[in-house]
Amino acid sequence: MPEFFTNIGLLLDGSFLQAGALWALRTIPGFPPIIQTVHILGIAIVMGSVVMLDLRILGMAVPSQKISEMTSRLMPWLWWALASNFVSGAFFLFGRPNRYFNNPIFGWKLSFLIPAIGLTLFFHLMSRQQAGYWELSSKRLWSARAIALVSLALWILVAMAGRWIAYVEYIYYPA
Amino acid sequence: MQMNFLNSPKWIDVENWPISWEIGGTAWFPFLESIHVIAAAFVVGSILTVDLRLLGIAATKYPISTLSRELVPWSWGAFVIATITGLGMFITRAASHVVNPAFQWKIFLLALAGVNMAYFHFRVYKHIAQWDMTSSTPTQLKVIGSLSLFIWSGVMLAGRWVGHII
Repeated sequence: MPEFFTNIGLLLDGSFLQAGALWALRTIPGFPPIIQTVHILGIAIVMGSVVMLDLRILGMAVPSQKISEMTSRLMPWLWWALASNFVSGAFFLFGRPNRYFNNPIFGWKLSFLIPAIGLTLFFHLMSRQQAGYWELSSKRLWSARAIALVSLALWILVAMAGRWIAYVEYIYYPA
Repeated sequence: MQMNFLNSPKWIDVENWPISWEIGGTAWFPFLESIHVIAAAFVVGSILTVDLRLLGIAATKYPISTLSRELVPWSWGAFVIATITGLGMFITRAASHVVNPAFQWKIFLLALAGVNMAYFHFRVYKHIAQWDMTSSTPTQLKVIGSLSLFIWSGVMLAGRWVGHII
């Protein structure tokens, strides 16, 4: 892992953020599975919003819905779900910062998450700028399809990497 | 009688199947688990839109029948994947799972979700024409939609809790 990355872990280690997260995780009964469920429900909204939109753009799902209408209707759900997932995820991140900032799979997760957010934000902003932006020419529609394909792969990989953080031993330290 | 079923040595036999050992002792387990989580999130994510539509909260421009027809098959497809990957993980610790209260809750809630869905499809759905286009849905539909939301969230919570008990 790059040094600046592991340094973030060291910075958070022993901070009041860690103390707060550990207090919540240890004191509130059932807090770890409950907050993990909140996190997974956030992922469910990712699936039901941007992933479903990607499938629509690729011509695989919800044929009666229009791309521009879906974008403006579903994107607010996505951004709120992501905000919620930053909060729910932060409890675990702050609780054991060195575990995450030394974990290569967490690094992978971020390197999928950042472009996924960037691409989705770009798609949303262009769609807001002009109604039906992505459907106005065949060139734009093909760009939208390319974006949808990459976006779909990235969001699935984000969720997959998230689960694999806990299994890093399998990959890097095989028995 | 019921306890005999749950404490049966047969569950240990299941754990000793060669495939159970293969999954439990290799990277197959995390692989199945990550697919399971994605599929489960997809089940909930796709059905969520229908539930919120039944509540009159989201996608109110679309007829309930259209949303249901276009989204529910995705929920079922993802559910099949979640079931297969779930069974793959279950057999590695079958005897522990059947007596795990979180696992028992999960199965119970899944059955409840099925009953709620069946009630909607076989009892309510035939009168669909009356409220298909209206955004303000009748109480009956709101109850079905919110039950679905709560039950599926419960399935997620119980499923996640399984791993904290085992």
